[in-house]
Amino acid sequence: MTLNLCVLTPNRIVWDSEVKEIILSTNSGQIGVLPNHASIATAVDIGILRIRLNNQWLTMALMGSFARIGNNEITILVNDAEKGSDIDPQEAQQALEIAEANLRKAEGKRQTIEENLALRRARTRVEAINAIL
Amino acid sequence: MAMAALRREGRRFASLISPRPITAVRSSPLYPTLEDEGPLGLRHISTQVVRNRMKSVKNIQKITKAMKMVAASKLRAIQTKTENSRGLWQPFTALLGDLPSADVKKNVVVTISSDKGLCGGINSTSVKISKGLHKLNSGPEKETKYVILGEKAKAQLVRDSKKDIELIITELQKNPLNYTQVSVLADEILKNVEYDALRIVFNKFQSVVSFVPTVSTVLSPEIVEREAESGGKLGDLDSYEVEGGETKGEILQNLAEFQFSCTMFNAVLENACSEQGARMSAMDSSSRNAGDMLDRLTLTYNRTRQASITTELIEIISGASALEG
Repeated sequence: MTLNLCVLTPNRIVWDSEVKEIILSTNSGQIGVLPNHASIATAVDIGILRIRLNNQWLTMALMGSFARIGNNEITILVNDAEKGSDIDPQEAQQALEIAEANLRKAEGKRQTIEENLALRRARTRVEAINAIL
Repeated sequence: MAMAALRREGRRFASLISPRPITAVRSSPLYPTLEDEGPLGLRHISTQVVRNRMKSVKNIQKITKAMKMVAASKLRAIQTKTENSRGLWQPFTALLGDLPSADVKKNVVVTISSDKGLCGGINSTSVKISKGLHKLNSGPEKETKYVILGEKAKAQLVRDSKKDIELIITELQKNPLNYTQVSVLADEILKNVEYDALRIVFNKFQSVVSFVPTVSTVLSPEIVEREAESGGKLGDLDSYEVEGGETKGEILQNLAEFQFSCTMFNAVLENACSEQGARMSAMDSSSRNAGDMLDRLTLTYNRTRQASITTELIEIISGASALEG
């Protein structure tokens, strides 16, 4: 029994095939999904999605939105997603440093929130690379 | 003897080019400017005038051919994006349903149209459907407002529905379309407009020659709750346990907003594709028309040329015969 996973972004379909198990991070913590999970609709936070295919884990950085799980079909709709293998480590590290610097410089509530989000995104990407290793 | 023969010849030629009755001038509305009446009411069609006209028609044909090729290349670029974005709104429809028949108090019709013209009839059909929706949904308790994207719909709707327009957004295609831009737009609309149901009117791109006007409905979270409780298509929604975040209502609101921006993105892309496709076929038919016109003008030109040569010959011959006789 396998799960059918479909990860979609507005610009393209990132992943569309069968997997054994996934670990998803939501607003209220991480959830693991095995075949025959109960039907849920949940909000996805900015974080890592781990996919297991035949005892091998893959990571993907997700930038938040929604997931719908039902009948062994998982549909994840995100604003943006990147496979861990597609991220350049140097560039992600640099982006993280820039985001941290921006956060320290940020003034005003709105900028702080934006920089916070940017930081979390950059951190997710760095973690996605690290998690494979 | 030779003289008589020449005179007979002259008369034969003269009968060939006898001036056509003046009534014929009004019966050829196609070329009103080509003929000017001489002092005796004779019509002289100048070859120069026909040649000028041929040149301008040929230039127009070149321009329309070029426009068709430009539209074809733009179409190819947007088409891949559109097909990729189609997959995105289908899960929403599967979960939340697309209920055009939902009966709500505050409707907002989002009309998507193009900024530039010369694209066939797609903008008029969009506007027609928007007006139809407005009529359908206006009544004692219900009201409909417009949000307009694009110059062409603005021009048509400002004329008679000015008071019902909430937002007008133009020059969408200055930068290549991407999701971030559209989501900002969707955010603006959601902030400024109160709605129970949003109906997006656009032209769906089915093939290069067929564009189907479609309406996508996005319901606000309260209405979704109401419909879900009453069963029917949205009844399945309740079977999903909703996690993440504080309350179900909050999740549903986020979901509705995301659904709106995804559907908008898809709609804007599809409309852009339809616009390019319609422009391609409009320019193609005008190139063909220009070609036909050019053929007809060439025939007229040849006739004019031959007529003027004949006139010259007659003058020479009658001059010669006048000298001798």
